[in-house]
Amino acid sequence: MNPISLYLRLVRIAIKARMQYRADFVTGILGVIVMNVVNISLIGILVSRFADLNGWTIWEVVFLYSLWILGHSLFSLFMWHIRTLEDYLVQGTFDQFLLRPASAFVLFIGREVQYLGIADFAIGVSGMVLAYSNLRLTWGPVEWGFLVLAILAGTLIEMTLTLMISSIAFWTGRSRRANSLVMQVNVMVQYYPVDIFGAFFRVLVTSVIPVAFMNYYPALMLLGKVEHIGAWWPLAYASPVVALMMVGLAAGVWQLALRQYSSAGG
Amino acid sequence: MKLFWSFTRQAFHNTVVYRVEFWIRLVSILLAMYSIRAVWQTLYTQRPDAFGLTLGQMVTYGVLGMALHAFIDTGSEWYIATQVRTGAIDTDLLKPIDFHVHMLARNLGEMLFGMGVMALPTYAIGYFVFGLQLPPDAGAAGLFALSVLLGFLVQFHLGFLLGSVAFATLDIRSIAWAYFAVISFFSGQMVPLWMFPDGLRAVAEILPLQAVYYIPMSIYIGTYSGTAAWSALGFQALWALILAGVARLAWHQVHRRLTVQGG
Amino acid sequence: MIHVEHLTKDYRRVKRREGLFGNLRTLFSAEYEPLRAVNDLSFDIAEGELVGYIGPNGAGKSTSIKMLCGILVPSSGRIEVNGLVPHKNRMANALQIGAVFGQKTQLWWDVPVIESLRLFRDIYKVPEPVYRQNLEMFNDLLGLHEFRDAPVRQLSLGQRMRADMAAALIHNPHLLFLDEPMIGVDVVVKERLRTFIQQVNRERKVTVILTTHDMVDIEKVCSRIMIIDHGQIVYDGDLERIRERYGTTRTLVIEFEESVPDFDAPHARLVKSEGRRKWFAFNRLETSPSALIAHISARYPVADLAVEEPDIEEIVRTVYRGGGPQEAAR
Repeated sequence: MNPISLYLRLVRIAIKARMQYRADFVTGILGVIVMNVVNISLIGILVSRFADLNGWTIWEVVFLYSLWILGHSLFSLFMWHIRTLEDYLVQGTFDQFLLRPASAFVLFIGREVQYLGIADFAIGVSGMVLAYSNLRLTWGPVEWGFLVLAILAGTLIEMTLTLMISSIAFWTGRSRRANSLVMQVNVMVQYYPVDIFGAFFRVLVTSVIPVAFMNYYPALMLLGKVEHIGAWWPLAYASPVVALMMVGLAAGVWQLALRQYSSAGG
Repeated sequence: MKLFWSFTRQAFHNTVVYRVEFWIRLVSILLAMYSIRAVWQTLYTQRPDAFGLTLGQMVTYGVLGMALHAFIDTGSEWYIATQVRTGAIDTDLLKPIDFHVHMLARNLGEMLFGMGVMALPTYAIGYFVFGLQLPPDAGAAGLFALSVLLGFLVQFHLGFLLGSVAFATLDIRSIAWAYFAVISFFSGQMVPLWMFPDGLRAVAEILPLQAVYYIPMSIYIGTYSGTAAWSALGFQALWALILAGVARLAWHQVHRRLTVQGG
Repeated sequence: MIHVEHLTKDYRRVKRREGLFGNLRTLFSAEYEPLRAVNDLSFDIAEGELVGYIGPNGAGKSTSIKMLCGILVPSSGRIEVNGLVPHKNRMANALQIGAVFGQKTQLWWDVPVIESLRLFRDIYKVPEPVYRQNLEMFNDLLGLHEFRDAPVRQLSLGQRMRADMAAALIHNPHLLFLDEPMIGVDVVVKERLRTFIQQVNRERKVTVILTTHDMVDIEKVCSRIMIIDHGQIVYDGDLERIRERYGTTRTLVIEFEESVPDFDAPHARLVKSEGRRKWFAFNRLETSPSALIAHISARYPVADLAVEEPDIEEIVRTVYRGGGPQEAAR
C-alpha cells in the first residue's frame, strides 16, 4: 500500500472511530466557539480603547487571527494527536507503529482525527469574511491563490514544529510542557501583530519558532502592508518556502527520534 | 497540615525528576510576562494618558497576572477528570480522608511548592527585566498575600466543580477550554475590569471570577486600598465559602450516585 | 528460523539522588547509570518449534522479543530471523512475523474488529482468497464471527484476545510472538486459545514463541521451554529434562491407620500433618521412596500412601531463585 492511500484508509477509520462519540461533538464545538469569541472580544476591548495596535486596526487584527486559525484548523483536525506522542511512548503503544511493514510516521499520523478543527475552521472562515468586507479588500487571483498557499503553509509549519517538539519525549520521556511553551509563543502571534514586540521576539518567531509565517508575514502581503517591514519584504512571500524547509528539518528529526527509540526503547 | 506538606514534597519531587520541565515552566512564565508588557507598552505609547494609571502600574498589573496564573492554576479539574476516566478515582475514594479535603490539600501543596521554587526567580526577573513594581507599602503586600490565598480558594473550587462534571461527561476538555477563556476574561487576568464596556463590566462585577485575579492585583498596584481593599477581601472570602459549600454539595451528590452504582 | 548469538542490550536510566540537596542538584545535571536488560543471550529456534519463553518480570523477555521484532536495536550480538536481521530490515521482517501483546491491543479501539482486519489485509497485501480462507479458519477455531462487527472496546477480554490473535495471523506469518496472550482470560477461552495455538503451529508450520506466567500453558502447549532471568538463559530444554534436573524433590503422603505423633524420617522432612495424614518431603537423589516407606511402615501401621511429583510451577520457581544446575546436582 502506498503511503498516501494508507493514510487515507487510516483517516477513514479514525473518522469512523470519532463518530462513536457524538455527544462530545456538540459540547466540543460550542467550547471552541466560546473560547474564540472571548479571545477576540478581549483584543477588541483593547484596540477599541486605544484606536489601533501599532498601526493595526481591529479588523486587521481579526484578519491576522483568522488567517492563523485557518491554518491551525487543518492541523487540529488531522494532526492534533501529535501532541500526545508522549502518551504513546509512556504507555508503550508506540511499538505498534513499528510492527507493521509500513511507515511508522504514516501509521502514527493517521491514527486519530479531532472534530474540534471543524469549529476552528468555521471561526476562521467567518472572521476572514468579516475582515475582508470591513477592510473593503478586493483581491485578484494571485491573492486568493496565495491565501490558500499561506493556509497550507501554516498547517505544515504548526505540524512540523509540533512533531519536532513532541519528539523530545523520545529522549526525556516528556514533551507536554515544551509543547505548551511553543503553543504559548504561537498564540501570541495569533493574537497580536508581531511588530509590537521587541527585536528578540521578532527574530524568535521568524527563525527559531517560525510561527510568524503562519499569519503575520503572509498577512502583510495580503493586506498590502509589505512596506511595514522595509528591506525584509521578501519574508511576506516566504511562507511556502519556510514550510518546505520545516518539512525537511522535521523529517530529519523524526529519523533521529526513531533511532533513539530503537536504541532506548522509549 | 501534615497532609499538604506531603503533597508539597511530592510535587517537589515530581518536578525535579523531570528537570527539563522546570526550566520550560520558568521560560513559559517569562514569555507570558514579556508578551503582556509588549502589548501595554505599545498601547501606552499611543495614548499615554489613557486611564490615569502609570505605564509602570499597568505593566505591573499585566506581568503579575501572568505570574499569578502560573501558580494559582493547579489544574485540579484535570486531576479529577483523569482519575474518573481511568477509573483510578476508586482508589482515591477508598482513602480514609474526605475527597474534598484531599483535593484541597493536594492543590494547596502544589501551589505552595510552585511559589516556593518559582516565585523568587520569577519575581526577581519580573522586577529587574520587565519593570514589575513593588507594592506601595508593607500593609498592601500583606493584604495581597491574603487575597491571593482567597483567590486560590475560589479558583480551586471552580476547578473542583468543573472536574466533577467529568462524572457526567467523562471528557471535560472542550468544556474546560471555554471555561478557561471565560475565566481569564471575567477575572480581569489580562485586561482590568475598569476597561470593559459598561455592560460587560457590570456582569464581571457580579461574578466570583474577579476574586481570582482582579482583586489581588488591584490591591497590589494600589488601586484598592484601605476600606476598599478590606471589602474586596470580604467579597473573596464570601465567594470562597459559597463555592466551597456548593462544591461539597455537588460532591455529595456525585458520591452518593457512585456508591449506589457500586463504583 | 531464529538465530541469536551473544545478544546484549543496555539501557541507561537517570540515577536518583537522595534528599533535598540531591534533588536540587538534579535540576542542573543528571547522572545516568547503565542497566543491562539482556546479557549475552544465545539460542536457536528451528522452524515449527513451539517454545515457552518464561521468566520473572523484568528478566528481559520483552526486550529480547522487541529486538526479534526489529523494534529495538541490540547493543551487541547478532540476531537473524529467517535469514533477516530484524533491525536492519524492519519492514521485510514485519511481513514474516505476527505478534500479540496481551496487555495492549493492536486493534482500533472504537471500530468493529473486521475493519482492523481489513486494514491489515491491505497493509500486508494479503490476496483476497487467502484472506477469506483465514477468516473462515478464525470463525471455526476462534468464533470470530460472534463479535467481528463489534467495536473492540465492547469486547470481553477473551474476545479481544481472540481478535488480536486473528489480527496477528491474518497475513500468514512464519513466526508468531505471543507475549502474555492469556492474561486475565477465563478457563474456557484459555483452553480454546491453547488448542488454536497448537493447531496453527502444527498445521501451518508457524514457529511460536509464547511468554506466559501460567505454567499450565507451558505444560499443555510447549515442546520446549526457555527460562530467562537477569537477561540470561538459565534453562533451555524440554519439560521432561527440567523435571529430572530441578524437580528432585518429591513428597510422600502417608495415611496411617491411627493418628501418630510427629516424627522425622532419615533424609526426609515432615512438612505437613493433618489428622491421620502426614506429608514428607525428600530429595530423590538422597533416598528412594521405597527405603522411606520401609522405614516408616516399620514404626507405624500404614493405611495408604502416595508419592507426589512437584508441579512445574514449583520447579520453575526454584530455577528463578538461582537454583542453577550446580545446586540441583548437589
